[in-house]
Amino acid sequence: MQSQIWFPLVITLKISIISTILVATLGLIISYILARRDFRGKWLAEILVTLPLVLPPTVTGYLLVVLLGKNGFLGNILYNITGWTILFTWQAAVIAAFIVSIPLMVKTTTAAIEAVDRDFEYAAFTLGRKELETALFITLPLAKKGILAGIVLSFARAVGEFGATLMIAGNIPGRTNTMAISIYSSFQAGNNELANMLVIILVAMSFLSMAVTAKLVDRWRI
Amino acid sequence: MGIKVDFRKRYYRKKSDKKKGIEPAFLLDAKFEVGNELVVLFGRSGSGKTTTLQCISGLLEPNGGKIVVNDKVYFDCHQMINLPVQQRSLGYVFQNYALFPHMDVKKNIAYGLKGWSEEDRDKRVLEMLQLLHIEGLEDNYPSQLSGGQKQRVALARALAPKPDILLLDEPFSALDMIVRMKLREKIKQIQRELGIPVLFITHNHVEAFTIADKVVIFHEGRVQQTGTPEDVFYYPQNSHVAELVGMTNIFEDAIVGNEDTATGTVLLLKDTLHVSVMQQKLKAGAKVAWGIRPENVHILSVKDGTGTQEENVFRASVKSIVNKGASKLIYFDIEQHHTLLIAETSNQSFEEMRLETGDVCMVKLDKHKIAVF
Repeated sequence: MQSQIWFPLVITLKISIISTILVATLGLIISYILARRDFRGKWLAEILVTLPLVLPPTVTGYLLVVLLGKNGFLGNILYNITGWTILFTWQAAVIAAFIVSIPLMVKTTTAAIEAVDRDFEYAAFTLGRKELETALFITLPLAKKGILAGIVLSFARAVGEFGATLMIAGNIPGRTNTMAISIYSSFQAGNNELANMLVIILVAMSFLSMAVTAKLVDRWRI
Repeated sequence: MGIKVDFRKRYYRKKSDKKKGIEPAFLLDAKFEVGNELVVLFGRSGSGKTTTLQCISGLLEPNGGKIVVNDKVYFDCHQMINLPVQQRSLGYVFQNYALFPHMDVKKNIAYGLKGWSEEDRDKRVLEMLQLLHIEGLEDNYPSQLSGGQKQRVALARALAPKPDILLLDEPFSALDMIVRMKLREKIKQIQRELGIPVLFITHNHVEAFTIADKVVIFHEGRVQQTGTPEDVFYYPQNSHVAELVGMTNIFEDAIVGNEDTATGTVLLLKDTLHVSVMQQKLKAGAKVAWGIRPENVHILSVKDGTGTQEENVFRASVKSIVNKGASKLIYFDIEQHHTLLIAETSNQSFEEMRLETGDVCMVKLDKHKIAVF
């Protein structure tokens, strides 16, 4: 019983934390570019990055299998080089979590960056600061509430990820059975006791991450 | 030394308009030359003042032309020079101050002092705090400051890196009268001390007149006139400038008469309205407009119809009286010609005259103060 709870909890946290770090890093860069740059095909980039938010997770999962499977475009290259396939590994679950949560990060963060008055950036330029410095020390600090909200939402979304993960990483006990998937399988098997425990832990985790964030944001001056 | 500006900037309603060859929605044609002095850019909102400042600062790129400040070429479209903002060495004060809200006053002021040693930086910040009389505020955040204090911090921040030029975009528009007056004096004093060119945007007459060494007048994207405040306020070159500087009495379509060599005056005629003005190289028969500021219309006597033969004296009836607080505006109807003439008079002399609506009196236009354009 204990390992039946412990393993899903650890693997879920591992997947979600790694996914969130990647989402936060890449999401920040994408958001800054979307908020502050004009380029051809910007509308297309905006749609592509938002698409996983509106697609059913099964569709996202299916597309990932097609792309990353042994015969998939990327999966084939990977298999030929390393003899390894990412399907049905925890790394695949990270990719699934990453894809479904990046729209939340980008949407929230882009809005937060756009809301920063450009005069602050212009002021920094006139004071001799380059764009990268200005982005790091002026724009992003002033957008930090929105950025944090994006990170927390992405983390919560990664913890709760089910559909795409099931399709690309499967439900392999001791390898890829995350909490969300374990809840489903224990419920199917009639193990309500285990399902209850996992549900309580998952709800508590989500609640806590939101509550801590709200308190933190409250204490920030800007 | 000084600033030499001659550039164009086009704005299109839609990006595709440019490709299609549609005329730009707004065209700025900025051309003026000034020294290391306090220069006011004056004009209505939307006349191109802020765009001019942004092009000089490098925040915007002009479509063509040249910008040179203190012999340093900031922009030259022929030589393909467009110095990045960061290398122009300028101080810019924004209308909303743009103080970094997440930094305290000290950090704000020190933000432009990149590459300075900590000791030098602290020293410079202290100098700036003293120069603008804001010692003691260094640990405060912008949200804890009053409008006047914010403006002083913004000035300190802009001046700290010892810029070659200072640009101010309507810096005092959100401040009350007393704070404004103090800061105007401060800006003037700083300009005198540093000897750098200072460009100052305002649409406030009083501000332009009291602070400026030179005034550059903008109207619909074009520089209309550059000169001392006295030049532009009393001798506007065209009716746009005349209107902008508050010359409320403007008469179009007058014909220039023959010169009276004895007095050096010339007559301007329109219908039966004849005024004589000081000869200003006017050609007989030319069509001109003329104007006079309301404070240069003198009210001679009340309820007296004599002396109408005298030069520039007209019989007029009072149509209405407007209290401006420190003075009164009197709207006259020149009887013979049924034209509106506005006079401005001090409260004291108004009291003495006891004018009322409907009264008839004589008004005199000071021929030395009549501007012809």
